[in-house]
Amino acid sequence: MKKIIISVLVIIALMVPLLPGQELSGDDIIKKVNELFNVESGYAKSKMIIVTTSGSKRTFIYESWQKNKGEKNLVRYLEPRRVKGQAVLMLNNANDIWMYFPRTQRVRKLASHAKKQKMQGSDFSYEDMGSGDSFLEDFNTKRLKDEKLEGKDCYQLELTRKPDSDLSYSRLVMWIIKENFVPVVIDYYDEKDPTHLEKRLVESDIRIIDNIPTAMKIVMYNKNDNTQTVMELLEVRYNIKLDDSMFTERGLKK
Amino acid sequence: MKKWVIFMLFFLLSLGLLKAKIDVDLFGYFESQIMGVNIHKEFIGLFSNKLRLDLKSEIANNITFAANFNCLLYHGKTEWNILDFLPDSAVAEVPEGMESYYLFPFSDRYYLDNAYIKFAFKYFDFIVGKQQISLGTGYVWNPVDIFNVKDYLDPTYEQPGHNALRIDVPLGSTFTLTALYGPEDTWSASAKLIQIKGRIGRFDFAFIAIDKSWLFHDYVEFDTDIMNFTELPEKRQLLGFSTAGELFGIGVWVEYAYNWMEETDDFYELVVGADYTFDFQTYVMVEYYRNTLAKSNYEDYTLNDWLRLMTQEQKAIARDQIYVLLQHPVSDLISLGLSTIYCISDNSMGLIPALNYSLSENVEIMVYLNFNIGKDGKAYAKTMGRGGMIRVRVYF
Repeated sequence: MKKIIISVLVIIALMVPLLPGQELSGDDIIKKVNELFNVESGYAKSKMIIVTTSGSKRTFIYESWQKNKGEKNLVRYLEPRRVKGQAVLMLNNANDIWMYFPRTQRVRKLASHAKKQKMQGSDFSYEDMGSGDSFLEDFNTKRLKDEKLEGKDCYQLELTRKPDSDLSYSRLVMWIIKENFVPVVIDYYDEKDPTHLEKRLVESDIRIIDNIPTAMKIVMYNKNDNTQTVMELLEVRYNIKLDDSMFTERGLKK
Repeated sequence: MKKWVIFMLFFLLSLGLLKAKIDVDLFGYFESQIMGVNIHKEFIGLFSNKLRLDLKSEIANNITFAANFNCLLYHGKTEWNILDFLPDSAVAEVPEGMESYYLFPFSDRYYLDNAYIKFAFKYFDFIVGKQQISLGTGYVWNPVDIFNVKDYLDPTYEQPGHNALRIDVPLGSTFTLTALYGPEDTWSASAKLIQIKGRIGRFDFAFIAIDKSWLFHDYVEFDTDIMNFTELPEKRQLLGFSTAGELFGIGVWVEYAYNWMEETDDFYELVVGADYTFDFQTYVMVEYYRNTLAKSNYEDYTLNDWLRLMTQEQKAIARDQIYVLLQHPVSDLISLGLSTIYCISDNSMGLIPALNYSLSENVEIMVYLNFNIGKDGKAYAKTMGRGGMIRVRVYF
């Protein structure tokens, strides 16, 4: 019943901006995007394909669980064999990170600077994977001129990092589909040089899952290294019941 | 021969279980390694091939069985004379006629490791069998871990399993109480451990108490009854703590343990470490280690000190050391590293440049070299040789 209520609320929330004559501010839009990204809880099984500069590929399959709108995240690798069983627990919007290594059964706490590290050598950093309410808390939002992208009417937003934020990007530019608030393109700009495009994220294959529009394919292009990482969602479920004990050291080692 | 039969039985049993479609996960790795060192103007090489076969199965709801069988074969220079690596002052202590006792053989090994059953109950986990015991927050040294000693050349390499009964009781969502019993011949000789681990703010904390029987050897006296060097067993009691967290954006950790010894002098160990990842992906780590069981003047190092270090009866020969690691991903598949271990007590240093290459998804190559820069007799003396290692590991 609770699930139905949440789903209805999400649909209503997404429909509100479609009412005629209503103009949305940048803050309104980014709140909708944040709601879409951070459902109350969720599970996904994903395939991550890293395409290296030499063109060779590395494929990872992992499961991830999130709770409290992305505040708690757990990632566990299934493939390849080299990393099978390795797990990452991120709490407090990835400000606290623990890694579990099954062969040594050792749990290592990582400081927040580790968020900058590439996740298994991919073009996603830990920060990109578990940033919770980062769009709202770490950035000031400004609405730019609407644009059409791949035949879709899109809002365009510029997010500028707040002075007290330690995030690795100075600013983001987003193109968000008006119809469903899915950000189809996000440009990430260099931490020190706000004119230097570092990464571009492109979302596609948008499907409605548990009444939530979901991009089943996400590609991160790294403009610095000329590499890319493709993430495909193989299975997704939203608003599922997850016990808090999952997001502890005990849950990490399971 | 008998060991080979056991290995084949283990392997066939594993395949049989798979074929019978019992939910058993069969995995592991094959590792081929070349280790070489140039000593006294002669290059000696030791080659090894290791096959690790892991079995893991959830045999019932919340009951997991896991084990691995290891087959380790050596060839090349399989018998090393430890005296070749020691300073003249230590070699001079060898009793006349006993020189042949200081040969270290690398013998083929077939062994079952990490064979345990884990019961995950609602309020606690219980693990019985041979299992990994990983304690402490240090990277190279772990004062609170008296079960394992890491190799500074390769500190993340897996440790052997230990026979134990272990219970982990979560206390709320942030604290865990652990009790461990490592059975030996008698209750008194058995290892007992209790630890409370938790999180306060942005820091993880662990307080630990261990009671364990400890075995030193006297490497200048031979006991003909046991046909080995004279054993000097004594009780070791440890009280320690470890913490890991963040200060001003820098990762920090501290580990401390005080050891009460039954016969020999009490001592303490301390580790203080910090790490940081720069925006350009370079990772830097610094770790300071103090061990008061070790000596502060290199002229006091004895044959026993050297042998106890090599046999891991003690973790250091020199009292104060610093380890620095620099690591940078030069491409998405290659990572370069440079470790430096500097002995503050005797002003000697070891350099360990390393390379990791991901050849394919399940194949990795690791290469490291080791150059010592220090006068004869010091912890990292030039005369101890210059060496390196190439390791290829294939996961399946």
